[in-house]
Amino acid sequence: MWSALRSGSFHRASSQSLFSLGNQSWKLGFSNLKLSFSSSSTTHDDTKELLSLEEVEKVLSDVRADNVTVIPVKKQLNWADFMVIATGRSTWHVKNIAQALIHKAGLCYCFYFSLFYIHLFLNHYIIIKQAKQKQKGAERLMLPTVEGQEAGKWVVVDSGKVIVHALDEKARAYYNLESLWASDASQLEPVEDLGSAFMKVRRINNSKRRPAQKSV
Amino acid sequence: MIQPQTHLNVADNSGAQELMCIRIIGASNRRYAHIGDVIVAVIKDALPNTPLEKSEVIRAVIVRTCKELKRDNGMIIRYDDNAAVVIDQEGNPKGTRIFGAIARELRQLNFTKIVSLAPEVF
Repeated sequence: MWSALRSGSFHRASSQSLFSLGNQSWKLGFSNLKLSFSSSSTTHDDTKELLSLEEVEKVLSDVRADNVTVIPVKKQLNWADFMVIATGRSTWHVKNIAQALIHKAGLCYCFYFSLFYIHLFLNHYIIIKQAKQKQKGAERLMLPTVEGQEAGKWVVVDSGKVIVHALDEKARAYYNLESLWASDASQLEPVEDLGSAFMKVRRINNSKRRPAQKSV
Repeated sequence: MIQPQTHLNVADNSGAQELMCIRIIGASNRRYAHIGDVIVAVIKDALPNTPLEKSEVIRAVIVRTCKELKRDNGMIIRYDDNAAVVIDQEGNPKGTRIFGAIARELRQLNFTKIVSLAPEVF
């Protein structure tokens, strides 16, 4: 809590340079996209997974998401491999985390050149609209689907095998997603203890022990 | 096949126990709702000391139906009960945990939050 507050105040202090910084990071992200343009367009068809775990972690560190937790859930759930949970400082921040992930997934190729001329907010609006239109098709699971973008309290980016949950602090405490998936993992541990409990241990035979008190 | 006046169970820990459908959202003259549809419902029965009360009007997503659900691969799924999950206007579930099995179709219909809270997904 304190660290979050402190980093928040740091943000405010550097708010003059914030916008230019933000712009720079966006440009960097886009140059990365340009490099991976040819490769990612070919992988679009054969893999369901649009965002790898490393990419997600990198994006989350870029947008400064707090308290990022990665939980492997392959054993518990049959429809996903990894759950990534991140906290945003405000609804705006939570929304931005989701938007950054959509950008990374590559829905924005056609907006590459327009970014330098159009304001960031306008751009986001168009991209969200486009994402929604694409989700209506039969292959909607191929795209990273986004849920809860309007409210910004709990945004889920579903990119196949990696599910990213971006929540604000209140929602994270309320839903307590970590305990949901961590509890199943902890159930496996007592099974190992049971194995050791079944081991044969010879009891100490007390019947032939010499009674010490009688001699006294 | 959920229509107005249908009673549904609640499959989460929001505090409501029984719902009655009063409207199906999405079309003006729709007769039946199926899995993944949003309905307007009234709470018929609720646990005491919970935020939700009896005769409150809420929105809910249908997660289980007695009417069978057909998939493209020929699989047919039907459940023992009609059940729904209480949501708010933004689509966030009111409860924090969900009980019972849930169909995979909910994920494609953009209810990933509900699917990720569910213990079993078929």
